[in-house]
Amino acid sequence: MLFVHETHRVIGRHASTFEDLVRDEWMGALARSEGTRLLWYLNHAMGSGPAYEVVTITAVADGAAWDALGARMVAGDLRDLATRLDSCRHEVEGKLLFPVYWSALQQVELDQVPTDARRHDLSVYMQDTGWPDAPLDEYIELWDQDYWQIMRQTPPEQKLLDIQACFQVAHGSGIRPEAILMQKIMNFETLGRLLTNAEEPDPTTWPGTYMAKGLEVRDQWESKLLRTSAWSPLW
Amino acid sequence: MLFVHEFHKVVGKRAAAFEAAYRDGWMPRLAEGDEARLAWYFDLSHGSGLAYRVVTVTAVADGAAYVRLAERVAHGDLQAWARDLDGLQHESHGRVLTTLPWSPSIPPLADIPTGGVTREPSLYMEDTMWPFPGRLRDYVEAAGAVYRPSLGAEDARMHMNVALGLETLPGAGRSPEVTLLQRLSSLPPLIALLTQDIPPEVTGPGSWMHEALDLRDRWRSRLLRTAPWSPLP
Repeated sequence: MLFVHETHRVIGRHASTFEDLVRDEWMGALARSEGTRLLWYLNHAMGSGPAYEVVTITAVADGAAWDALGARMVAGDLRDLATRLDSCRHEVEGKLLFPVYWSALQQVELDQVPTDARRHDLSVYMQDTGWPDAPLDEYIELWDQDYWQIMRQTPPEQKLLDIQACFQVAHGSGIRPEAILMQKIMNFETLGRLLTNAEEPDPTTWPGTYMAKGLEVRDQWESKLLRTSAWSPLW
Repeated sequence: MLFVHEFHKVVGKRAAAFEAAYRDGWMPRLAEGDEARLAWYFDLSHGSGLAYRVVTVTAVADGAAYVRLAERVAHGDLQAWARDLDGLQHESHGRVLTTLPWSPSIPPLADIPTGGVTREPSLYMEDTMWPFPGRLRDYVEAAGAVYRPSLGAEDARMHMNVALGLETLPGAGRSPEVTLLQRLSSLPPLIALLTQDIPPEVTGPGSWMHEALDLRDRWRSRLLRTAPWSPLP
């Protein structure tokens, strides 16, 4: 299974139209194929980064299903709808993702994914994208052993984040080396402390910690705070 | 047929090893199967842009073949090769592209050389355009109807031809985006383009330069030189 990750730079005055099109037409059109489902529709939380930026993640069963999706968009039944979506955004940047070996999310039962825009509470995700200066595999292994394994042992009431998926970019469809964590924020008080804590610990004085070990493989990453829409199939 | 287009930021001191990884690793490893081939290996010409930049174009049979190739890189027999490559490049930026309806095609995969080629380098102008929102289809159509034929006209200012016309496949790069890979057949017109003002008749009303501004006003040109061993010239 692969996942299409798209970052849409939406035209501000067309933001509502863009969301309406995705919710009312695009999601259902994808579901007419057995091999594709929209999973997440996420708004980049204003005040924490770029305005009018939307992230969508679509599950695709396999290469043949992705091929078919491309054919539908370029010259098939999705061509006109794709053009209308294009009219509502400046551009979209996409990449194809594979789950890494330890990711909790590996497969999605596509026929179980809601496509009816049912409403629910909002969730906020911290999407971390990292670019190691070491081989990509070493970064993914570090996340496994020194981040994911430790976080799994944290009592639920103390958890800031729940790692729901970890991805690497499929060869040739984006940046290498790059890996992505999709982390659901579980505790907003803890998030508040993270954002307001003035005492940034010096990782070099904490030998053996994740922050210190992490610097051995990367010092560049970006966190995005992404809020699901009220109808996002997954949230 | 699909094309994996990669733009590599190579570690300067490891440039020769990087090239060898593609020539002696990637190209022959793909040749063990029948659904993917390295098509071009280009160096971005020094003096025309960023240093130590390489463009590779890999042809794959279809989407399923592409995903099988990507899986080999992620956790299959090409994983170690990719891990070694991580030490030879700062990063690469890849896109998966499909041909435009009017694009010329390249030889079948089975006919693409997989080694033993040595020839004079060719120079390409790779143009990448970003049409205005909602105008991708209009741009593709106009480029095929007006721009491409103009390259073959007797009074063409540039002596080059489109080798491939490409657009990004969904979710595998930036969109809207169109890339034209154009092979130069003569150098003097390029030098004239670089050193002389563009005459008004080329930019005035009715010209492609003028009318296409309704569809896009941003593009980027790269001058790319094939390696002597590049499978396609």
